[in-house]
Amino acid sequence: MPPESSSGPENNTLSELLDRSMPADPGAVAAVVDTISETLARLDVPEQKRFEVALAVQEALANAVVHGCGNDPSKQIRCQVKSAPNGRIVIIVTDPGPGFRPDQLPDPKRGENLQADHGRGVYLIRQLMDEVQFGSNGNEVRMWKY
Amino acid sequence: MDINVRKRAQVQVVQLRGPLRMGAAVDGLRQTLQEALNNGDTNIVLNLAEVSMIDSSGIGLLVRFLADTKQIGGNVKLVQPNKYAVQTLRLVGVLNLFEVFDSDDAAVESFA
Repeated sequence: MPPESSSGPENNTLSELLDRSMPADPGAVAAVVDTISETLARLDVPEQKRFEVALAVQEALANAVVHGCGNDPSKQIRCQVKSAPNGRIVIIVTDPGPGFRPDQLPDPKRGENLQADHGRGVYLIRQLMDEVQFGSNGNEVRMWKY
Repeated sequence: MDINVRKRAQVQVVQLRGPLRMGAAVDGLRQTLQEALNNGDTNIVLNLAEVSMIDSSGIGLLVRFLADTKQIGGNVKLVQPNKYAVQTLRLVGVLNLFEVFDSDDAAVESFA
């Protein structure tokens, strides 16, 4: 995975579009995802790109709720959306959980995993976004859309 | 998500409207499909024409019920998934697990 410096602008050149905290409640995910979609629509981001960002954020927030917070609504998840001068967008999802090792996840397209009822979230994020970085503790994901 | 169920010629036709994602939408569809199986209805058509998003939770539900119904001689068939649903199902490699039709009629008739 490329180092953060390869993503172009440093953090101090990014403009904040959104900064939301939400309880770790499955029912709270949709509102944040929809707000981000609406924000990107106002910026005239094309529909295809909005869809891909929305689904990636949906998956990142769902992972944070279920795995980062154990479905405990007393815990908070933070979701930031920033844009770079070159039009690139980064979404940062942070949870208070212990994190995970993204390199140890099984391939959801291999063998019996294809028929599993879980285990596709991180794979989808990586497919939908242009660059994905997991924080060293695994409890923060930075997702870039170019 | 709106879920509308009709029975046509021994086939449960489930019309969905809205994003199929974690929370109330996936829980509601899971309940609907489980009730169908409990009633012995194992031939299921899911009309996805108005489903704007399917997340991994929704994919997991579809794949699981496909396996469950096939195990007892039934099937889950999809109708008119939009381009985003097709993209998502293809990305995770499960699109080919399902039979896909252009209309409810064609999907229902395929069970005959």
